Amino acid sequence: MNRIADPIPELRTDFHFEPGGFADHATPLVRNCWYVAGLSSEITRELRSRRFLGVDVALYRTQAGEPVAVRNRCPHRSFPLAKGRLEGDVLMCGYHGMQFDPSGRCVKMPSMPLVPTNAQVRSYPIVERAPLVWIWMGDPDHADQALIPDTSWLASPDWKSVGGTFHMKADYVSMHENLLDQTHFPFLHPGAIGTPEYARSKLDVRQEGDVVIIDRALKNSPPPDVYGVPTGLTGKPVDRYSEARFASPGLHVAFARIVDNHDPAGKPRTYRFNITHAFTPETNGSIHYWWFNSRDSNLQDPAADAYLYEASAKAYLEDVDALEWILDVVTHDAEPQFDLNFAPDKPGLLMRRALYDMAAREAGVRF
Amino acid sequence: MASKYIDVVVAGIRTLTPRIREYLLAAADGRPLPRYEPGAHVALHMVSDTRGPIVRHYSLIGGLAGEDDPRHVYRIAVQREDRARGSAFIHDTFEPGTRLRISPPVNDFPLDRRDASTLLIAGGIGVTPIVSMTRSLARRGCRYSVVYAGRNAAFMAYRDTLARLAGDRVRFHHSDEEGVLDLRGLLASQPEDTRAYVCGPAPMIAAARQAGADLGWEPDRVRSELFAAGPASDETAFEVELRRSGKLVQVGPDASILDALRLADVPVLWDCARGECGLCPLPVVSADGPIDHRDRYLSEEERAAGHTLCICVSRLRGTRLVLDA
Repeated sequence: MNRIADPIPELRTDFHFEPGGFADHATPLVRNCWYVAGLSSEITRELRSRRFLGVDVALYRTQAGEPVAVRNRCPHRSFPLAKGRLEGDVLMCGYHGMQFDPSGRCVKMPSMPLVPTNAQVRSYPIVERAPLVWIWMGDPDHADQALIPDTSWLASPDWKSVGGTFHMKADYVSMHENLLDQTHFPFLHPGAIGTPEYARSKLDVRQEGDVVIIDRALKNSPPPDVYGVPTGLTGKPVDRYSEARFASPGLHVAFARIVDNHDPAGKPRTYRFNITHAFTPETNGSIHYWWFNSRDSNLQDPAADAYLYEASAKAYLEDVDALEWILDVVTHDAEPQFDLNFAPDKPGLLMRRALYDMAAREAGVRF
Repeated sequence: MASKYIDVVVAGIRTLTPRIREYLLAAADGRPLPRYEPGAHVALHMVSDTRGPIVRHYSLIGGLAGEDDPRHVYRIAVQREDRARGSAFIHDTFEPGTRLRISPPVNDFPLDRRDASTLLIAGGIGVTPIVSMTRSLARRGCRYSVVYAGRNAAFMAYRDTLARLAGDRVRFHHSDEEGVLDLRGLLASQPEDTRAYVCGPAPMIAAARQAGADLGWEPDRVRSELFAAGPASDETAFEVELRRSGKLVQVGPDASILDALRLADVPVLWDCARGECGLCPLPVVSADGPIDHRDRYLSEEERAAGHTLCICVSRLRGTRLVLDA
């Protein structure tokens, strides 16, 4: 009869962790992590709901402008709270009018003579770092804001960003692997992004804690259009350096530097591009994805904006398609397969091992 | 949703002070226990050979330093009260390997993450949820301070733990030397945006609330743990006859009517077990003594009429209660 009163909702899983494992689409999702809940512009005085890590969350802003995230499920009869309404800062359930303050405490139950002191809806730590809003779906005790990854270039006047969003039916593990894998560029993204020289260039991979970093350098080679067009360097031999980071389970960032050693001003000139891929598992097989392409040159150039947006959106749609096709095969093909791995897959494998270890640690498994 | 008991085993015992012992309760199946947030407590369900069912509530402490305890372990601390039987039963009978049942964690004393500044006040054994809250605030880099009052250092469990967690943010008040803690002065010295969380003896909680009121604080700026279900120290046993089912159930001094009926597999409706939700009242056919109403649900008229009672918290001052159930 009695509900299980407010232990932190948890899908008890029988997943069996083994030493030396690699994360895949079936591995329990890492919860103790800041994930992007949405763009600042998406979280407003209008109630909206979004599912993160399998849990429905209602999102809104207080009158003072603070973002709020509570479970999108009334503790009384499971009515989705985002279908209710806001009265000031109080969220009122649309079924029986039960009311909750932004911390999730019940402040009124109209059908009862007093406020039930044990009634609350779970709230989630949520922090705005414009243009992003970050949410913590794991143990709130560990929700240290200092752990929110740096994306300061997205708000800096020294940078110009274009961006877009996808909802995709793919797992976050393959998404991370795709982003750490640059050998697919010339084939999945022919033209704008990849060049065959780049795919064959040497890479250095290193791991710092749970962060996996790859560095690549390709000297004296014409840039791909995605860098050439906005900088006007198309066809000109340049040095190209890139660092790609599996920064957290919810974020991949890439920092590219294009160095023109023959700049008309007489000394080398560096053009920087920061690529931000924030994505949050909706479930084990679907993700919310926000991308940004930021540059530190030609800030006031609408043609560069349009070109970068079009080229990026096209390439990322190609990634979305590929990863959706792959997950469809992996989950529906009756005959299992152990995928082959090659040397360029090392960064992805390190990332998958790190994700696996993080998930195991959260499950209390020690190897 | 059905309330599930969890089977646990006493996995470790430490003596913290002359009257306080710490118990580690490990999941009997070794699987992770439900997660909880600071301020949460669990109910221990025990059965004494001589006294029948005993139910007691204890706050979850969490790991001692910055570390978390393993996921299959809960840490509680039990102070032996002179007259209370539940704590004496635990001190006398719990040893490594003792099995018992607990209810999943409930949190009636949550930290509000919106607080710009937090003041934690602990008195005596009330320190247990304060330890958990301190760990959370320290980890998240929040603005907070802690005041822990006790007779003297030897009687104050988790004094070192708090010192390690909070460093110079914790102040210890030794009432043997310094007298009663000046709560009014303490609250008056707080920044405008501070919320206070108090856990300690009832007079301390009352004094903190009064101090807040005197200073013109919004009532919600002083929050406290309310163990409404905690039995008083002079409970007496009685028996309950269920008129319709014909069952006779003994209610010992250490458990509620609801506890006893559940143990006897009598199907009853209930939810909050703290006299608020109004789901458990049963019609009274007869009572050979006054009913001690301890709920917050029934109206004054209903109490006075005596035709019903909340079986989760209310009791009979008599020997035999006949219910229409």
